[in-house]
Amino acid sequence: MTWVVWRQYRGQAAIAAGLLAALAILLVVTGVRVASQWHSALAACVPARSCGNLANTLFLGSHAVGFLVIMTLGVPAVLGILLGAPLLAHEFETGTHQYAWTQSVTRRRWLVAKAGWLLLAAAVIGGIVSALVTWWSGPNNALQANAFQPGRFDIMGIVPVGYAVFAVALGIAAGALVRRTIPAIAVTLAGFIAVRMAVFGGLRAHFLTPVTSYFPISRGITVGSAWQLATGYVGANGQPIGIPLSTNGPVLGTAAGGIPVTSLPGSCQAFASGASGPFTPAAQNAVLSCAQAHGVRAFVTYQPASRYWAFQGIETGIFVLLAAVLIAVTFAVVSRRDA
Amino acid sequence: MTWVTWRQYRLQAVIGGAVLAAFAAIMLITGFQMAAQWHTVLAGCTANGTCGSLQQGSFSLGGVLGHDFAILSLLAPALFGALVGAPLIATELEARTSDFAWAQSITRTRWLAVKIGWILLAAAVWGGVIAALVTWWSGPRNAAFGNAFQSNYFDQQGIVPIGYSVFATALGIAAGAVIRRTIPAVAVVIGGFIGMRLWVSQDLRMHFMSPVTTYFGAAANFNPPAGSIQVGGGLVDKLGHLVTAPAGAGPLSTVGIDGVPATALPAVCQKLIPASAGGPAGPANGTVNAVMSCLQKAGYRQFISYQPMSRYWAFQGIETGIYLAVAAALVGLAFYAVLRRDA
Repeated sequence: MTWVVWRQYRGQAAIAAGLLAALAILLVVTGVRVASQWHSALAACVPARSCGNLANTLFLGSHAVGFLVIMTLGVPAVLGILLGAPLLAHEFETGTHQYAWTQSVTRRRWLVAKAGWLLLAAAVIGGIVSALVTWWSGPNNALQANAFQPGRFDIMGIVPVGYAVFAVALGIAAGALVRRTIPAIAVTLAGFIAVRMAVFGGLRAHFLTPVTSYFPISRGITVGSAWQLATGYVGANGQPIGIPLSTNGPVLGTAAGGIPVTSLPGSCQAFASGASGPFTPAAQNAVLSCAQAHGVRAFVTYQPASRYWAFQGIETGIFVLLAAVLIAVTFAVVSRRDA
Repeated sequence: MTWVTWRQYRLQAVIGGAVLAAFAAIMLITGFQMAAQWHTVLAGCTANGTCGSLQQGSFSLGGVLGHDFAILSLLAPALFGALVGAPLIATELEARTSDFAWAQSITRTRWLAVKIGWILLAAAVWGGVIAALVTWWSGPRNAAFGNAFQSNYFDQQGIVPIGYSVFATALGIAAGAVIRRTIPAVAVVIGGFIGMRLWVSQDLRMHFMSPVTTYFGAAANFNPPAGSIQVGGGLVDKLGHLVTAPAGAGPLSTVGIDGVPATALPAVCQKLIPASAGGPAGPANGTVNAVMSCLQKAGYRQFISYQPMSRYWAFQGIETGIYLAVAAALVGLAFYAVLRRDA
């Protein structure tokens, strides 16, 4: 069976290898340039003591390659569409499954070999693309401290392997159920986008309980490479202070943004009485110290950078688990079906 | 033939209509929420007289859901091209139904013209409806952030999505006619669509018309009209020559203007460059402003090249025209491939 799978997919394997080689050459060549740009920038900013400002002034790499790197988000979906969906659907559509299923190889072994090799290929392709992108993004991750941000997290580390395996498993299962290639492609694409959006928009922030830090409103806080989920203010009772979307009154500028005076305790609002436009510095300070005396604090809720790999592991686990369920469904459908 | 086309595609038409309806519901619901937010912000800043200085980031517009779907609309043309365009001829050839179709009383040209005509029209409607919804949804964001001309926002709004959609579908039809197999045709749509979109948006678009260049004093400030896209800028000396980095200059030895190294400036001004801005031995308390005033006295000027926002619709028209022209060529290729083929 391995030989049959190879014969069926050698054209696709050659094309995939060619595309991967082209991507590897592009990313290695530009990546080496990005790395040297980064090292010379570091070497220059250390003596000038301007490294703190580097994230605002330095642009690493080119827009075009940066765009291509972001577009690797689509690689798992393409694998699912072009490899996963036709795997069974195309056999059913052209009737070749009848030939395959009347050979000496059992249907189960036929499916194990085909699905097994294709899922392995998906994992390898996803892994190679991700390894290249992760390496290419190293200097940018150090500069922008954004590897944990949605969108960046999704193209690096091990999660692309999980996405690729899931997308191909989804394509195989869709083909087994729908039994026609084009509808299976549509189901794969829609299902992949929907699951990715649900995990990314709904679940990811809650994989582990986020950490909340409180700090005085006069002091700014940066969370560095952590993934910031929310910021705001709490009163002395620990309850969040509601910030209206827009206000007609004066706004107390703080290191963490601004807080409308009308949201502060009543006794503090007195210090701002009469001020309609911008505060005088004295009034600003009076309101600020009053708010601090009343226990008003700022907070930031975040997932610490140290959890990066835990999150990568959890997300990959979810997608691999979903893939396993889909493969089990495929086996049930194919085994039960009359030839 | 119109009736045959309808019979072949009525299920797809129903599914496409349902997808458009769901998309419309999401964009309308999130769009009305965002419009209400925007009116609250505007009412607040009008009362304060601070609308001129509304800062991006000091207020939020729209939730994640609407924004995600606006970005996903970038994929809609490729989706139509891959699912409707690519199988149009390829599946007929693969399943040999073309043998039956071509043995009827209708000529092959008419068979092809009617199928392609209706499907390209459907592609234009698909792209147009999605673009109309996203354009309407983006109204408050365009007004607040002035970014409708920026890459990716330009690509979701106006009339260009119609061009993309017709192009992707024509690409699928032509690929199917030439390759004669569905899955490879789908792959060509994905690769070709992404390649063409990247090439036009990253390389060509900013050269559709020559940019406007404005010169101003070295110590002066100039901002292009809101929403314009800056495509270049720099410093010229008294004679109008561009001041560029001599070979081997470090990338960080600049004074406020990107890419202008300290060593390329007149010696009298070089001495004023503060050490913090990469000056070789400048005064610790010097400022970039002092350097710029010195440059102005020496006759140096800055310039900015930009594509003004007023060209937005011209650019939309040019880009749509490019895609429609390529689509026409691809349809021609599909006719050629089908007509010269033996049944």
